[in-house]
Amino acid sequence: MKTKDNSGWIFVLPAMAVLGLIGLIPLVTVVNYSFFEIFILSSRFWVGLEWYGELVGSARFWQSFARSSLFSMIILLIQIPLGIALALCIPRGRIWIGLSLVVVALPLLVPWNMIPTLWLSLLNPETGLLGRLGVVLGWPLDWKDSAVHTWVVIVMMDVWHWTSLVVILCYSALTTIPAAYYQAAAIDGATPWDVFRFIQLPRLQNVLLMAVLLRFMDSFMIYTEAFPINAGGPAEATLFLAVDLGEEIKAFNYGPSAARSVLYFLIIVTVAWLFTKAQGKLEEKAAP
Amino acid sequence: MKLIYRHLGAIKIVALLAFMVFVCLPLVQMTLLAFVATLPHEELEVGQATLQNFSGILTDPNLRAAFGNSIAYVLINICITIPVALPAAYAFSRMSFVGDKSLFLAFIAFRITPPVVLTLPVFQLFSALGIVNSVFGIALAHCLFNLPISIWILQGFISAIPREMDETAFIDGYSRPRFIWSILIPQIRAGIAVAAFFCFMFSWVEVVFARILTTTNGKPISMAINALFGFQTDIGLVMAVTLASMAPGAVLLFAMRNHLSRGFRIGQV
Repeated sequence: MKTKDNSGWIFVLPAMAVLGLIGLIPLVTVVNYSFFEIFILSSRFWVGLEWYGELVGSARFWQSFARSSLFSMIILLIQIPLGIALALCIPRGRIWIGLSLVVVALPLLVPWNMIPTLWLSLLNPETGLLGRLGVVLGWPLDWKDSAVHTWVVIVMMDVWHWTSLVVILCYSALTTIPAAYYQAAAIDGATPWDVFRFIQLPRLQNVLLMAVLLRFMDSFMIYTEAFPINAGGPAEATLFLAVDLGEEIKAFNYGPSAARSVLYFLIIVTVAWLFTKAQGKLEEKAAP
Repeated sequence: MKLIYRHLGAIKIVALLAFMVFVCLPLVQMTLLAFVATLPHEELEVGQATLQNFSGILTDPNLRAAFGNSIAYVLINICITIPVALPAAYAFSRMSFVGDKSLFLAFIAFRITPPVVLTLPVFQLFSALGIVNSVFGIALAHCLFNLPISIWILQGFISAIPREMDETAFIDGYSRPRFIWSILIPQIRAGIAVAAFFCFMFSWVEVVFARILTTTNGKPISMAINALFGFQTDIGLVMAVTLASMAPGAVLLFAMRNHLSRGFRIGQV
C-alpha cells in the first residue's frame, strides 16, 4: 500500500511548473486567439465562434478528418498486432535480445524530416533498391499518380518508422512475467496460444494502452513525414488534418489556425479519454 | 495448428529476421548514397565511391555548428527533465495524494498533445522570454513530451524497489530529500540512464518545435539538413549528414541495450 501523504504535491510541483509554462499557458493562449480576428497582435476584434463555424461547415475539413481517421485506423491495425508479434519473436539469450532491440530501434534515430527523403530515394526507379526491384516486378513508375500507391508508401513508411516503439514497449512488459507462470503453464500442457492469451496478453494491457495512445496521436497528426512524399496528392488524396494547420500557421492566420488547433486538441483528448475508459471496462471484466 | 506449434521457434526467427531486413532497407540505401558522389565535383564523377561527403561535414561551418547545437540542446533538455521528473516520479510511486491519478493523466495528456497545435503560442511566449533562436528554447520546448515520458519511466523503476528500503532509511533518521539523494538515486541509476536515453531519442529527431524556434540561429542537425536542399541538392551529402546524425544515437542504443526494455515495466500509477 502507498502511504497517504499530501506532501506528494510538493514533489510534483516542479514538473507542474514546467508543464504549466510550456504546455498550459500556450494552450490557454490558443483557446483565447480562436475567438478573435487578428491582423497584428495589438489589434484584434471578437468574432466569437465564427472560425469554428467556418471549419465545421467546410467539406475540406471533414474530408481530411476522414482521411486522417482512416490512416490512424490502418496504422493501429498494422502496428499494434505486428509490434506484439515481433516482441514475442525476440529470442532468449542476452546477446540476441540486445542485438534485436538495437536493430529494431534504429528507425527511431532518423531525423523525422529525413524519413520521406530516405523512402523517396529507396523508391527511386533508377537508383533506389526497392525502386529498381519495383521496375522488374511491375510497380508503376508513376505511382505518384495513384492514390492507392501513395497510401501504400506512406503506410509502409510509418510502419517502418514506428513499429519499433510498440515492440520495445511490449517487450519490456513481457519481461515482467515471472518464470513460474510459464512453468505452471507447461505443467498444465497449455498450447502457445493459451500462454499468449492467458499469461502474456493480460500483462501487456497497460503498456498497450500507452502504445495505442502514442501511435494514435502521432499518426492522426502526421505532418512532417507524410507531406513530402506526394505533397498531399494525387488530388488531395493524402491531405491529412495537420497539413492545413501547418499551412495556416505558416501564413500567420492567428484566428483560424488557433480555432483549428483547439478543435484538433479536443478530438485527440476525446479519443484518448475514450481509450482510457475502454481500458477501465476491460479491467473490470478481467477482475470482477 | 499443430504444425505451426512444432515449427514455432523457426517461424519466430524468420519473422524477426524479415522485419530486420525491412528495417535495414532504407538505411542501407542511405549508407550506399552517403559514400557516393552524387554531384560532379573536381576530379570526381557522379556515382564514384568517395569519402568526400563526410569530409564535407567537417569543412562546412554550418553543419559543424548544427551538430554542436543538437548536442547542446539535448544535454540541456536532459539536465532540466531528469531533476524535475525524479521527485514527481517518486511521489507518484510512493505516495497517495489527493488527485494523483488525475494529475498523472494530465501529464500524459501533454505528451499526446500534437506539437503543431502549440507551435504558435510557444513561439510567442519564447520570443517574449527572449529564448528564440537559442538552444535553450528548444531544450525547454522539448520538455513538453520528454517530461511526462521520463516521469512514467522513472516511476516504473522506483516502484520496482521494495518499500522496506524507504522505511528503514526513515527509521535511521533520513529525511525524504536526503533519502532520495543518497539512497534512491544510486539504486535507480539504470532507470535514470534509460529515461535520459529516451529524452535524447525523442528530442534529437524532433523537427516541429526545432523548426519554428530556430529561424536564424541555433539550428539543430535536422534543420541544417533541410537547408541543404535547394536547386541542385547534393543528396550524397544529405545522406552522409543523416548517417552521421544517427551515430551518437546508435552508440547510446548499443550501450543501453540491456536496460532498454526495462524502462516501461509498470504501466500505470
